[in-house]
Amino acid sequence: MIKKILFSYQNKSQLIIAMIGSFLGFTFLVTSIHYLIRVNEFGEGEEILGNNTMIIQKQINNYSSLKLSKNDFSEREIESIRKEEFTEMLQPILSNNFDVSLQTDSELVPYLRTDVFVQSVDNEFTKIDTNKWKWAPGDEYIPIVLPREFLVMLNTFASAKGIPPISDDLAKSIGFKFTLSSPGKKEMEKVRIVGFTNEVSAILVPSSFMEYGNINFPKDEPAIITQLMLTVKEGRFGDFENYLEKRSLESKENSMIVGKLKSVAGTLFSILIGISVITVFLAGLVLVQYAQLLISRNEYEIRTLLRQGYSPKKIIKSILLYFIKVFAVISGASIIAFSVVKFFIDKLLDKGGIQIDAGFTFLSILAVIFAFGIYTIVNYFNAKRGVLKTL
Amino acid sequence: MDIHFNNVIPIPLSGIQHSDKSIWGSEFSLHKGEKVMLNASSGKGKTTFTHTLAGIRKDFNGSIRFDEREITSFSPEEWADLRKEQISFVFQDLQLFSKLTVEENLHLKNNLTDSFSSSELKQMLEELEIDDKWSVPCGILSMGQQQRVAIIRALCQPFDWLLMDEPFSNLDVENTQRALSLINNRVNDIKSGFILTTLGENHNFDFDRELNL
Repeated sequence: MIKKILFSYQNKSQLIIAMIGSFLGFTFLVTSIHYLIRVNEFGEGEEILGNNTMIIQKQINNYSSLKLSKNDFSEREIESIRKEEFTEMLQPILSNNFDVSLQTDSELVPYLRTDVFVQSVDNEFTKIDTNKWKWAPGDEYIPIVLPREFLVMLNTFASAKGIPPISDDLAKSIGFKFTLSSPGKKEMEKVRIVGFTNEVSAILVPSSFMEYGNINFPKDEPAIITQLMLTVKEGRFGDFENYLEKRSLESKENSMIVGKLKSVAGTLFSILIGISVITVFLAGLVLVQYAQLLISRNEYEIRTLLRQGYSPKKIIKSILLYFIKVFAVISGASIIAFSVVKFFIDKLLDKGGIQIDAGFTFLSILAVIFAFGIYTIVNYFNAKRGVLKTL
Repeated sequence: MDIHFNNVIPIPLSGIQHSDKSIWGSEFSLHKGEKVMLNASSGKGKTTFTHTLAGIRKDFNGSIRFDEREITSFSPEEWADLRKEQISFVFQDLQLFSKLTVEENLHLKNNLTDSFSSSELKQMLEELEIDDKWSVPCGILSMGQQQRVAIIRALCQPFDWLLMDEPFSNLDVENTQRALSLINNRVNDIKSGFILTTLGENHNFDFDRELNL
């Protein structure tokens, strides 16, 4: 009955406009938060290197081929890059200064032996499990991360021999061996693949193994640093790219593109979140204003109810419940609209070759619940103030 | 519940010279079960008196107590309980919901305490000869009919006191007698009292007490 008295004879056009505004704000908010999270997640788990992390090196030109220009980094150059605004972390990649070859050590795969180039990077740049990524002399095997091109090459070799190709999982279970050598000295170590990478062209090994090889099987020439591992700050890919161009440096193109795309998309979605928050705020203000208007138009009705013995709490509760239903409709409709929009966007991305997690992100739904909570709290105090004012 | 007045003068009436008979500025008590007529000419504060006891107006000097409690100390929730269980009103302006039907207006009040069934409500309407208005919005009833609805609505709750501010101003003698009889029966049933403000007319009723403003 209270509901009929307070709400049945109201002009609802202002309410409907505010509801549409809130609905659009909520939908933009949930969509932009969802895709900001998905954009940041994109590429995670597939690669060994951490987010926004890439290897840089000097561009190879004819002069470097003729040894007229250096392609290694001096300490000063490294320090200079480290001080750049876009640099979050930077470390030289250690390369082997000893002879090492890799050979297959299983009946499941054909015998193959080749000289290899190994590198090690600090574990903070990679996503490799630290428990798996350690080695000490005497350990059963050395964990390595294999460039995916190497496995492709191995499979090409296997098919030429009429042997079925090796999957990632099988490759991880079959045996390999490293042979470390220096004049008059040779040592064999068992090797186990713990992961694959598209980002690094050399075999990655733990730094303890690199130190062991460099100390025990040293070459005459001193070790030089030709590559650096660098993590770019979020959203600074533009500066980073300009720097590379200016200093004739290069990075692997694919990780650069992904980083740039993530940077651009992240900025766009952040702007969209900002616009959504403003929309939600403005629509919220209109809803609050509507509630105030409703209370002031119903001043006689509220006062009469109070004089008839209705408690202020009961009247406040009725107003609050009415608006909770309104907010629930807005929130529900925005989540449904988001699901529909998400279905089409995901389909579009999938068609474009970008596979992202199809699930809903918890934070985006939480944002709607949070906005719903804020609306409800503001409305409660608004209703309380309005009802008690009529006493 | 007894009502105690101690030198009460509404602030807007404090500049006026009141007669010796006036209750304003005097000390007296009203005891539960009394049937009181409050007699005054226009502008002497009958509505102010009703509104002050209803907790609507707080602009007075002196003190009013319900039993031992100062009425200015009641919280909004406590006033709601008082208005639901202990004091009922027939306001001069009736305060009905014009868009709601007679049935809805009565149920709105009756639902708070479930004092009567629908058939009992209809019976009361019949006694006041407006039972045919059950489904009619109050806004289209005559003032006399609305007054009778407001009287019945005021009876739809338990109370210690029924405060009526010129409740028969639009009723003829016959309807006034019927309404007064209905009120008296209800008051006797629940052993409560009432205060009826008039312009001097005692409606041929034997009041326990007469007050003047």
